[in-house]
Amino acid sequence: MAEGVPPMDEKAKRTRDLLASFYSPDASAALGVGGGAGVSPRRIASPDSINSPFFDPEVYMSILVQKLNMEGLLQKHVEMAAEIKNLDTDLQMLVYENYNKFINATETIKSVLNTSILVTGRMKNNIVGMETNMEQLLVKITSVQSKSDLVNTSLFEKREHIEKLHRTRNLLRKVQLIYDLPTRLAKCIKVEAYADAVRYFIGAKPIFEAYGDSSFQDCKRASEEAIDLVIKNLQAKIYLDSEPIEARAEAVVLLKQLNFPVELVPVNVRVIGSDTVVGLVMQHQNQTGEVHRNLDEIDEVKVDNLKTKLLEKLEDYLLKFQDEYKETGVSACNATESSDIGQLPDTVSVGDISKIIRAYLIIFPDSEKRLIELVQKLFNRRYGIIQQRIKERVTPADLLNMMRAIWEDVNVMDEILAEAALPAFSLEAARSIVQQYISTSFSYLLDEITDALGKSQQTQKEVVEECPYQNTLEGSKKTIIQGSLDLLLDFRQLLDDNLELLAKLTDLIVDWVQEGFQGFFEKLNEQFLVLCGRGYIANPDSCQVDAVQMDKVQAGLVLVLAQLSVFIEQSAIPTITEEIAASFSGGGTRAYEHGPPFVPGEICRIFHSAGERFLLLYINMRTQKISVLLKKRFITPNWMKHKEPREVHMFVDLLLQELEAVGMEVKQILPQGLVRRHRHSDSLGSTTSSRSNPTREDKLTRTNTQRARSQFLESHLAKLFEQKMEIFTKVQHTQESVLSTIIKFCLKSLQEFVRLQTFNRSGFQQIHLDAEYLKNTLKEFVDDEAAIDFLLKEVVGAAHERCLDPIPLEAPILDRLISIKLSKSKEQSQTSP
Amino acid sequence: MRGPSTGIVYGGLKYQARCITDVKADVDHTSFLAGTLSLKEENEVHLIRLSPSGSELICDGLFYHPNEIWDLKSCPFDPRIFSTVFTSGETYGASVWKIPELYGQSNAPQPEQLVSLDEHSFKIKSNMLVSVLWWPSGKHDRLISIDEGNIFLWSLDSSNKVAKVISQESVGMLQNLSGGAWDPHDRNALAGICDSSLQFWDLRTMKKTTSIEQAHIRDVDYNPKKQHFLVTAEDVSGIQLWDLRRPKFPVKELPGHAHWTWAVRHNPEYEDLILSAGTDSTINLWSIRLPGNEGSSSESLFDSPTTLKDSLINSYTDYEDSVYGLAWSTREPLIFASLSYDGRVIVESVKSFIKRK
Repeated sequence: MAEGVPPMDEKAKRTRDLLASFYSPDASAALGVGGGAGVSPRRIASPDSINSPFFDPEVYMSILVQKLNMEGLLQKHVEMAAEIKNLDTDLQMLVYENYNKFINATETIKSVLNTSILVTGRMKNNIVGMETNMEQLLVKITSVQSKSDLVNTSLFEKREHIEKLHRTRNLLRKVQLIYDLPTRLAKCIKVEAYADAVRYFIGAKPIFEAYGDSSFQDCKRASEEAIDLVIKNLQAKIYLDSEPIEARAEAVVLLKQLNFPVELVPVNVRVIGSDTVVGLVMQHQNQTGEVHRNLDEIDEVKVDNLKTKLLEKLEDYLLKFQDEYKETGVSACNATESSDIGQLPDTVSVGDISKIIRAYLIIFPDSEKRLIELVQKLFNRRYGIIQQRIKERVTPADLLNMMRAIWEDVNVMDEILAEAALPAFSLEAARSIVQQYISTSFSYLLDEITDALGKSQQTQKEVVEECPYQNTLEGSKKTIIQGSLDLLLDFRQLLDDNLELLAKLTDLIVDWVQEGFQGFFEKLNEQFLVLCGRGYIANPDSCQVDAVQMDKVQAGLVLVLAQLSVFIEQSAIPTITEEIAASFSGGGTRAYEHGPPFVPGEICRIFHSAGERFLLLYINMRTQKISVLLKKRFITPNWMKHKEPREVHMFVDLLLQELEAVGMEVKQILPQGLVRRHRHSDSLGSTTSSRSNPTREDKLTRTNTQRARSQFLESHLAKLFEQKMEIFTKVQHTQESVLSTIIKFCLKSLQEFVRLQTFNRSGFQQIHLDAEYLKNTLKEFVDDEAAIDFLLKEVVGAAHERCLDPIPLEAPILDRLISIKLSKSKEQSQTSP
Repeated sequence: MRGPSTGIVYGGLKYQARCITDVKADVDHTSFLAGTLSLKEENEVHLIRLSPSGSELICDGLFYHPNEIWDLKSCPFDPRIFSTVFTSGETYGASVWKIPELYGQSNAPQPEQLVSLDEHSFKIKSNMLVSVLWWPSGKHDRLISIDEGNIFLWSLDSSNKVAKVISQESVGMLQNLSGGAWDPHDRNALAGICDSSLQFWDLRTMKKTTSIEQAHIRDVDYNPKKQHFLVTAEDVSGIQLWDLRRPKFPVKELPGHAHWTWAVRHNPEYEDLILSAGTDSTINLWSIRLPGNEGSSSESLFDSPTTLKDSLINSYTDYEDSVYGLAWSTREPLIFASLSYDGRVIVESVKSFIKRK
């Protein structure tokens, strides 16, 4: 029953399906699809399914009848009738709708057809109009063409004619020019406008070459004559020295344009150079000719040849100029007329050269590079000359003059040849020159000082002067301080000068000067070392010579050096430092990490230690000499078999002589110390406590056996209480200090020599006697009596210890012998002077 | 420079003395031999031993020596053998002695004289014997004696108490020998101090090989570690270091002493250390740097700030008289003994000047 009443939406769907199947172009397919889908429903529900395509009304009816009662059937009938009615209306609706659509479509098609018919009709009308227009156009064009052809042909003849006329006119003008050429040339010659003349001639040349033999024979001859005249005139001009160099150069150019033969080169050269060069030039040309013959295959060989040769000549000329300059420079130097140095070559030659170079630049514009080289070479040489000159001693004024002269020339040249960068070049050169100047100045000063020191050695050998060392010392002092100050003045002059070139170098000069002083003093120190024969410490290579020298070195010289070192440390350096600070401060273009170039403190330190060293060396040299003397004295005799002392031994005299010599030297060179008895009180105390005379005498009276042991203990004891005698104190730069140091050294050595020997009684007595004598005489040299007493006592003590039988001389005998000796020496000293 | 006195003093020597030597062959103790120089009394040789604690000097033996001792050397291979050079008045002598067995008793009256080395050398009286040399580097049965004019090479047989002169060379009339040293690197090389030079001999040929022209040399010592290097001490010029391959000029110069530099000694172990004794009553300790040593470890051996500028490390000034005797200990190389003329032996250690390694 449920199937019998399908829902409403199912109804609409069915209607659409039906309609679709109706309109479907392929009913079978639609049916197939519908049949495929409804296979199983047919089997199951086909009997009562109205919508199925396989619906069988008979079966359906029978089923309905069987299934339903009357009421049901009636109801079914009503349902079906309603359904059928619905379907009918649906169908009608559909058909109607479709029909409407169809009518619309047909109407549209109809209207389209109408429009198209309209359009085609109009088009047809248009095309027909155009065709006629075209035909008209063609006709017109053909007519235009024909007319233009007509015009063309009619104009052709006239144009040809005009062209012909034009050519004729040109020709006529040229002919006129050529006919006029001789007169024009003559006119040019008259006003000496050779350049124009040459230009005209060269312009006319092709025509002469073409027609010269026929139509224009006369003209050609006339103009050639004229141009010959021109050439002649040009040559004359070149020869004329009065002509300005530019004019001459121009003439050369013109001649070259006229293909003037190469043979004229020497003439050119001769013109440019001076007459004196001719021989050289000819010779040189032969050489260069050979060289350049190789170039013959190359084009424009003539021009090249000409050029190179000219340049060679220029070079020659410059060389010549150099020589002249050198001569004049040297002569000026000899004459010490500083004004001549710069001016002479300046006026004579540099102007010339600049003119020549200008001319060359005009002739051969491409030769600039070569010229730059030449000019640079020239100035190089000139700076070289200055460098040569300053190897000798030159005053700063001279140097400045030379520099100024060159600087002026540089400026002249710079105008012509800016590319040569001459100012920069000069700056470089000036830099090295000034540096060299400063360093040579210092080395000269060094030499002077060395000379001053060395002179003494020689003069002393020849003439015995009153006080040679004093002179040497004073001389050297003066040389050092005066020389240094003069140098500073000189350098100051360099700085103060307003020469542009040097102004740029101010800072560098300041540095160099400071450096120079530093180096100078360092070298001076080395020089001192070499002078005293200790130089091999500084330069081990040349030590052999120095070592040999050392034996010859005079002790006095060493003392002079010591004192000189002190002088440098104490007064020269401060003065120079002040001077430098006053006028050479600043500088410092160099990095300051190295510190300022001049370090007075360092120099002072160097010379301070040098001074001490030299002083010690002097003392060593002197004591060594005395040491040898003493050694001989003690080694030669057999002390065990010594005889009774009769007099003071002569070695004492020798010793005193040596000391006198030392005293002489010392007095000349060293200052007198303060008269103070340094250490006197100290040593006095020590000596009295250690070995005072009473103890000694006591001791000597004891018996032999006891003596040695007790003496030893005694001296031990004494030494325990003794305040240690400081014999070896620091040496000072005074007469007294040096002399007393030497004496102390000698006495100490004497003691040591004594200790190495063994004496018999007489030997001991001899030593005792000598010591006693020395005690008296040495006091004349030094006032440090205590030290001398002490040391002499040590000597006697040593002899006593080394004596097998130490019995001293009896006091009266001792006194007598000493007084004899004293009077004898007094006599000698009275008679000898 | 003047450090506080740290030395251990031995006051046992009753007389003046010049000679002290290290007993090299004594491996158990640090000991020294010192001999006195007394013209009139009986001289003594003291065997001085440093106590194990290192704080005391003990007399380990006292032997009478008939004459005053000018030179004393200990045998490098037998601690009981030593040699002396002595004088009595005009006569000179040299002997090799043997310390007798002590059997608990410390004073033996006299050492046993093994050999007398004077059979040839003292025929000419004026020839003063100056030195007896043992080869320093070990057992060698040769001895050298030097007198003023001659060098003798002896063959020593200590067990049989025989010594024979093997060869002899005279220096010449104009030269006087005053000392010498035997090259520890070459048992055939000998250096002898002459008046104006240092002469070298080859002991095989007894011919001079080379020389250093330097006057007034007092002492010479070979560098025990570096061959060809030696040091000399001069009266005036101080101390000079030499390279024998370049004998013309010293390698280095040290200022030496205020007066004469009497003795100079290389440390047996540290080649940079040199000790010098002077007649100015001081002992100076130097640090030297030989060429070729730069950059090596020895450079940083010393911590004294002054070594770069000045090679003087320390100056020992605690002496009353000239110091003539000087000896490093071989057993403890940082210890040295010094002997001043007044007979005081002072043993010092240089340890404080050496950087701890």
